[in-house]
Amino acid sequence: MNSLSLRIFLFFFVSSLSRVWSLQATPRLRSIDRSDPIRSMASAAATTTKKMITLKSSDGEEFEVEEAVAMESQTIRHMIEDDCAENGIPLPNVTSKILSKVIEYCKKHVDAAAKPSDEAGAAAAAAAAAAAGGGGGKASAVPEDDLKAWDAEFVKVDQTTLFDLILAANYLNIKGLLDLTCQTVADMIKGKTPEEIRKTFNIKNDFTPEEEEEIRRENQWAFE
Amino acid sequence: MSGDEEEEWGRRRRRIAGDPVTAALSADLLALILDRVAAARDRKAWRLVSRGFLRAEALHRRALRPLRRDALPRLLRRFPALELLDLSACPALDDASLAAAALGGAGRRLRSVCLARASGVGWRGLEAAAVADAAGLRELLLDKCLGVTDVGLAKVAVGCPALDRLSVKWCLEISDIGIDLLAKKCPDLRSLDISYIKVTNESLRSISSLRKLEDLAMVGCYFIDDDGMRILSRGCNSFQSIDVSRCENVSSGGLASLLEGHHLLRSINARDCVSELTSCFLSKLSVISNTLNILKLDGFQLSVSALKIIGMSCKNLVEIGLGKCKGVTDEGISELVANCAELRTINLVCCHLLTDDALFSIANNCKKVECLGLESCSLITEKGLDQLTICCSSVKELDLTDCNVNDAGLKCMSRCSELTALKLGLCASISDEGLAYIGSNCEKLQELDLYRCTAVTDNGLAAIAAGCKSLKRLNLCYCTQISDTGMKHLSCLEELTDLELRGLVRVTSSGITSLAMGCKSLVKLELKRCYSVDDAGLWALARYSENLRQLTISYCPVTGLGLCNLLGTLRCLQDVKLVHLSWVSIEGFELALRASCGRLKKLKLLSGLQEVLSPELLQMLQSRGCRIRWVDKPLVFKG
Repeated sequence: MNSLSLRIFLFFFVSSLSRVWSLQATPRLRSIDRSDPIRSMASAAATTTKKMITLKSSDGEEFEVEEAVAMESQTIRHMIEDDCAENGIPLPNVTSKILSKVIEYCKKHVDAAAKPSDEAGAAAAAAAAAAAGGGGGKASAVPEDDLKAWDAEFVKVDQTTLFDLILAANYLNIKGLLDLTCQTVADMIKGKTPEEIRKTFNIKNDFTPEEEEEIRRENQWAFE
Repeated sequence: MSGDEEEEWGRRRRRIAGDPVTAALSADLLALILDRVAAARDRKAWRLVSRGFLRAEALHRRALRPLRRDALPRLLRRFPALELLDLSACPALDDASLAAAALGGAGRRLRSVCLARASGVGWRGLEAAAVADAAGLRELLLDKCLGVTDVGLAKVAVGCPALDRLSVKWCLEISDIGIDLLAKKCPDLRSLDISYIKVTNESLRSISSLRKLEDLAMVGCYFIDDDGMRILSRGCNSFQSIDVSRCENVSSGGLASLLEGHHLLRSINARDCVSELTSCFLSKLSVISNTLNILKLDGFQLSVSALKIIGMSCKNLVEIGLGKCKGVTDEGISELVANCAELRTINLVCCHLLTDDALFSIANNCKKVECLGLESCSLITEKGLDQLTICCSSVKELDLTDCNVNDAGLKCMSRCSELTALKLGLCASISDEGLAYIGSNCEKLQELDLYRCTAVTDNGLAAIAAGCKSLKRLNLCYCTQISDTGMKHLSCLEELTDLELRGLVRVTSSGITSLAMGCKSLVKLELKRCYSVDDAGLWALARYSENLRQLTISYCPVTGLGLCNLLGTLRCLQDVKLVHLSWVSIEGFELALRASCGRLKKLKLLSGLQEVLSPELLQMLQSRGCRIRWVDKPLVFKG
């Protein structure tokens, strides 16, 4: 009787021990996996396929962009970092037309910062260059002058689009685009008389003649 | 939220009313655009576009320079976000107007106020201003406010404890007592200017307790001497910059003791102090070798060995002033620049012994040099300038007055496309050919001085006007070949603000008319001894030169009618010189000066008129803040 219970006890003891060994064995199995060259290359390939973020415009259209391009916008960057971006990011203040232009800008600047001659960048820019003034194809050797020229072409749009771009850049917190668009508007104003400014922006003169005269006098004689 | 709704409603209204810009963009976005529209003319054009634009600009404006005191309360109400208020252009500023302006309530956000030359301001005005602005005022400039006494300074010190920068230059009524109270009440002072006032070493004792003081200017303080310097050296200031120029009783021994105490000095200005530079000072220079950037020793007697020690001790020098220093030779300069490759400004005015070799040394060692002063270094030729301009591409300011520069030299200088200021006074060998070189490449030129360059004609002016569109200051005194054609060429320079045309006898009123029509920004004009300019020229100036602030028409054949129209029409005119206007009658002067009613700040008249003009007129002018200078010059016609 004693030897039987002892054998049963030993059986359970050994089987529990083997379970423990098998648990310990599995990590070892995984480490063998890691040292396997074929397996490790596959995992490396997994990290180079870029993470794509979906952006949804106010009129329901969805845009899929690389994470790096989307992170040009500080607003989107914070949402990604706070893990709110899993099901796509809704942008209720930006229409699809403006969003496509913004994405074009961000793509161009990310590509210019990373690799000047990025094939994927040129292709995507050309694909999205529907409305833009043919500036997308200039993804070539470099640097600042070419990028500046591209920027100058990028902002040659009608005024409504320009103002919408300012609003979008402000909402999405993209400093480079905001600087570019505000500078464009400022340059449209420099050196012009008030009448010329009104004509450029289609503004109606809502001053009464007395008010206008008072401001003119103030400009002339009250301060420098 | 009602704020947002209100803004949305406002936008809808503006869209209906026809202002798409302010309708589309919110106030902060308009502010971002306004940040990039800085030029005064553009800001003024912006204000006139629409009501929305006017409002946006009013909320954005941070700095203001009013031109008249009665506009002050209205302007301060209109611009609630002002941080900087420059009242130095307001004539007749007094306590009442300052108090009225301060009570406008806009004083809360002001950070900086400049009250230069407001001699009518006393302690009452300062009290009112200080009480209103107490919370935020950081910077107060009271240069030449002759009415400010120790009482006024006390009001400022008590009312503005956060004061960071104060200047009481030329406030002759201030004494040690005022400075003592200031030092006790304003511990955060970083920058203090007590130039030309009658303070003694006791003030320095009080000042030495200001821990944060970095910048001290004591130009022309006769009563400060070496003991004062010793007191400062033992104090707990954090000096970075000291200016003791023209302090006759401070010697290099005093300066040396100052260096002992303060190892962070960046800038020492000891111009015209004492003539001898002793070895104790030179040996102490190595103590501050890492930090010293600016050293001005104009007027000292310097030997080659002294310059060598300076060069070896101060390797980080950015600016050196050796003007009027006796004993500066080519060898000394080469010893100096051998170690100072960072030099950007070199002042060698009146160092007569220098030749092209000095320029070779500078060209080879100081590639970054930007400002070079070589007035009266008459041994310099175009070879030195050639080497300089080849090696140093960033030259911006060149002073070659009285250096016998010729056209070949100008050809070398035209290589410097960054040139902004060029002084060529008394260089009689310069002709139109040289000016053509300058006009071809120096697009950024802002200042050009051609005083007594008698070979310059209208063609030279054509070249300059075509090439240097940003020209702001031009001096053509006694270039007697210039005529109305030259004036026509100058009329395309829209940015021209200062123009001196003394002694140009061939320029007539038609030339002045074309000048006035074209140069819209003209602020200062000198027409002394232009014997062909008459009333027609004054009519043109009155009609077109709306921004004119300073005018000299002494010796011109104008009559009372033209003068009266001029002084009555030009609202900005503040400074006029009317000496020897032989065709203007006494009634003419009376009428003209009455027509200016209170706008004039400075007036220069022949002393003979003092008895003849009515005393009420003179009293009225003086009560409105006008300072009259009576001169006694004999009537001599030149040329």
